[in-house]
Amino acid sequence: MSAQKAKRQVGKYELGQTIGIGTFAKVRLARNLDTGEHVAIKILLKEKVLKHKLHEQIMREIATMKLIKHPNVIRLQEVMGSKSKIFIVLEYATGGELFNNIVNHGRMGEVEARRYFHQLIYAIDFCHSRGVYHRDLKLENLLVDASGNLKVSDFGFSALHQELRDDGLLHTTCGTPNYVPPEVLKNRGYDGAPADLWSCGVILFTLLAGYLPFEDHNSINLYKKIATANFTFPSWFSFGIKRLLTRILDPNPVTRITISEILEDEWFRKGDNPPVFDGTNETSLDDVHAAFKVSQDHQMMGKEEQPAALNAFELIGLSKGLNLGSLFNIEQEFKRETRFTSTCSANEIIRKIEEATKPLGYDIQKKNYKMMLRNIKAGRKGNLNVSAEVFQVAPSLHMVEVRKAKGDTLEFHQFYKTLSTSLKDVIWLS
Amino acid sequence: MGCWLSKQVKHTPGYEEPAVLAAETAFTVSEVEALYELFRKISYSIFKDGLIHKEEFQLALFKNSKKNNLFADRIFDLFDLKRNGVIDFGEFVRSLSVFHPNTAQDEKIAFAFRLYDLRSTGFIEREELKEMVLALLNESELCLSDDLVETIVDQTCKLVDSNSDGKIDPIEWKEFVRKNPSLLKNMTLPYLKDITMAFPSFVMSSEVDDEVLD
Repeated sequence: MSAQKAKRQVGKYELGQTIGIGTFAKVRLARNLDTGEHVAIKILLKEKVLKHKLHEQIMREIATMKLIKHPNVIRLQEVMGSKSKIFIVLEYATGGELFNNIVNHGRMGEVEARRYFHQLIYAIDFCHSRGVYHRDLKLENLLVDASGNLKVSDFGFSALHQELRDDGLLHTTCGTPNYVPPEVLKNRGYDGAPADLWSCGVILFTLLAGYLPFEDHNSINLYKKIATANFTFPSWFSFGIKRLLTRILDPNPVTRITISEILEDEWFRKGDNPPVFDGTNETSLDDVHAAFKVSQDHQMMGKEEQPAALNAFELIGLSKGLNLGSLFNIEQEFKRETRFTSTCSANEIIRKIEEATKPLGYDIQKKNYKMMLRNIKAGRKGNLNVSAEVFQVAPSLHMVEVRKAKGDTLEFHQFYKTLSTSLKDVIWLS
Repeated sequence: MGCWLSKQVKHTPGYEEPAVLAAETAFTVSEVEALYELFRKISYSIFKDGLIHKEEFQLALFKNSKKNNLFADRIFDLFDLKRNGVIDFGEFVRSLSVFHPNTAQDEKIAFAFRLYDLRSTGFIEREELKEMVLALLNESELCLSDDLVETIVDQTCKLVDSNSDGKIDPIEWKEFVRKNPSLLKNMTLPYLKDITMAFPSFVMSSEVDDEVLD
């Protein structure tokens, strides 16, 4: 055997200490040598993964996780492989587990607990909107970053949560059952959304109480307590929190509170702080500002009253043959920008866009033939901001480019669908 | 060196070691392996010989193997570094590297120039520009009078051809792109940074030595 290297390196990462060991994976702290940034790398043995026929599920889950980019969810950064191992590179939360926070400092006050709960609910709502369910939410899966923000870990990796029992079979209901909802214990098929919410309720209770709502050293008794939602509130719980928790810890998943109802809850709405998105992987804000700067060459027509004319190369650049992105779109991702042409005058196009978007709650800023539309109501991924610009192809023909400046791509896609329906009579179909 | 010990895997013709390609391009070894998954998907879509033919390229781009497009043709020809009518894996990776977000701007500018220099004369002639504008209008089913097309081409030529010799040379092109960076938008594919997550199945066939991944 070759001598052990002083510092093991995998790709551009220098491996550090082991920070977790699970049934299928070992997690190691690592440092990106290009950026200095810390990451957590899940290391799986291929042999083990193949033996339990988990590879297809893991591949599917990686593809799903790729779509989850939320400030309160641990982000999947890249995947690497070697002859015997799989390396899953994840964002690392330096603040550790929220669990330790409770263990070391005891229960928290309502204000602090509510802040974490907000972030948890926003993260879950975002993932659910993409059809991703956690199914194993517990305090140990909630991490905290350097600025004290919540990061939900292990979203979408349910394959790795499975436990290998003595019978050699995989079992999904596993580990600490304290967070598991009644319908999952009953081993029937269940809906992921209410199941995740139940676990959120257990988490919120635990943050405020400093102990779990359902606990019993005898698991039969524990299951009974969960099945009937048999728990008692500590004396210091306020009326508002009791009312909310009663609605979340409803043993019937059908009548259990939904996320949209939680968002309307009085206790929840106090001091509501929607998530802040850092704008990573978004069109940079410079772009948005640039959209409002009058670019030099676009003024070649010399007249402010006219929309910018596209030069021949800009026109050519619109060809689908030059968009190699389509090679990768085998699994469909939504577009961040879209265009249409119109024979209407530029002013009329602008007016029509205004008419169509104002009733949807958009704040509109105009400058010449550029528009900035800001949705005042926060979406699942912050405010959706859209820029629209009218270009002249020829005096009688205009092209409109609608771009997502900020916000969620899925929401942009829906926005555009609505917009194009109301602009039907403006869009030119040859 | 560990590679020799592993069981022989049948690779596509023109396959090259990921480590070699990674060293020459903007990609990491894992990214090259992920690209191999994509390459195999495309190169086995019609002819199943592990080489990308024009029809397969068109199928991947337009979901239609018979859709001819001047610009797709140009990209295909530039990717086909050995000029033998097909794209092998090495050519695929080396060419896509130009589109990597980390690749130098100058490389992208030069690639775009060669793309638009339809007849590879070292200049983008006025006629070539007009031909491309007509191809785009045709593709988008936009009808413009010949006069309008002439006007658009003339105005652009005036903007770019600073020495007024009736054609665009690489220096004029570079100057023009610096003033209009949006012209290079097509030359960068943000997807390439996420390629290992888009095609994660490469990890199961990875032949990278356990100790050295990069």
